[in-house]
Amino acid sequence: MRIRRWSRVPDASCVSLGLAAVLTAAVVAGAQSPLIDSPSRSVTKTEAVEYLFPEQISVPAGKPSPVALHFRIRAGLHINSHTPPADYLIPTVLSIPEDSGVKLHSASYPEGAELTLPADPATKLSVYSGDFAIQAKIVASPGDHLVEAKLRYQACDQNACLPPKTITVPIDVVGK
Amino acid sequence: MKRNTLVLFAVLVILAIFGWSGWANWQYRKQAAERALASAEHGELVSDAGGNASQYLSPLKGKPAPAFTLEDLSGKKVSLADYKGKAVLINFWATWCAPCKIETPWLVELRNQYAGQGFEVLGISTEGDDLAPDDKAAWVKEKAEIAKFVKAEKMPYPVLINGDSLSKPYGGLDSMPTSFYVDRSGTVVAVQMGLTSKEDMEANIRKALGAGM
Repeated sequence: MRIRRWSRVPDASCVSLGLAAVLTAAVVAGAQSPLIDSPSRSVTKTEAVEYLFPEQISVPAGKPSPVALHFRIRAGLHINSHTPPADYLIPTVLSIPEDSGVKLHSASYPEGAELTLPADPATKLSVYSGDFAIQAKIVASPGDHLVEAKLRYQACDQNACLPPKTITVPIDVVGK
Repeated sequence: MKRNTLVLFAVLVILAIFGWSGWANWQYRKQAAERALASAEHGELVSDAGGNASQYLSPLKGKPAPAFTLEDLSGKKVSLADYKGKAVLINFWATWCAPCKIETPWLVELRNQYAGQGFEVLGISTEGDDLAPDDKAAWVKEKAEIAKFVKAEKMPYPVLINGDSLSKPYGGLDSMPTSFYVDRSGTVVAVQMGLTSKEDMEANIRKALGAGM
């Protein structure tokens, strides 16, 4: 009886310690992820705005078709909305080059969030931050088009601004 | 049975410690990665004597300010060398930059306050845009935008254009506003990136004038 009792203790301990070892390995592996990720992205060339999706869409040819284009703004930054409150501020604008086989029929932009800079509470900005989507309507001619749409924006944080930038928004549009 | 419970309890405690340390480690690395990202793109901010993060660690600090000659809005050529013997604040700004618009009235006031002591501000418009040098129509529009800003802000100091051409000698000029404080001997004594405060700017101006802090 005594022997049996002692024999059960190591079993439980072994299982528990084994579990601990596995979990520890998992935790340590997880803790490495930010550094593992960092070499794959160029720190100095990271854009303030990143296009997320869709990569490919299929639409009826010749008809205005809705597509929601999703973007992500880097943490800590904001960009002016499509309707900034002053002329001197650069609005966020989506465009599609004319010779791409796809026309931008219309674009509906989200409403900007009001932002006040701590140094000047009187000045109110209209900005996007985090994730946002532009509801576009496009008209595609028949066929497969690798469209390089453009998003122009100008990003800032609370104290400084980055130069205006135009990024390419690649979308494979199939007009059927 | 009691021993089993104790062993299981101990293991759970160890697991909790491992879990917490892993989470803390991940948070630390995440913050370090974000700091690295920020410093790679915006330089490094360090605290000044008052504890305010206002100084930008620039390789130009302590070195002669790179020479330049640019045109003002009327087409007149203006050189940094024209201000030899004066303390100069070289302020890179842009019309689209809200923080620049906030600090401009401070610059105007400080310039008027210290001009009598041999101080001048050189405002250099640095639009950072993809304007082709031969795109005359775009440059006319750009100049009109700058002139509108200068008039609205009543800027009494020389405003020069095409600051983008100074990007390389002045360390990239990745963000606006960026200011270089140059003393009477032409040495950069302070560099400030981003909006800080009028008090910070005044302290740097006094440093450039050799008036102490």
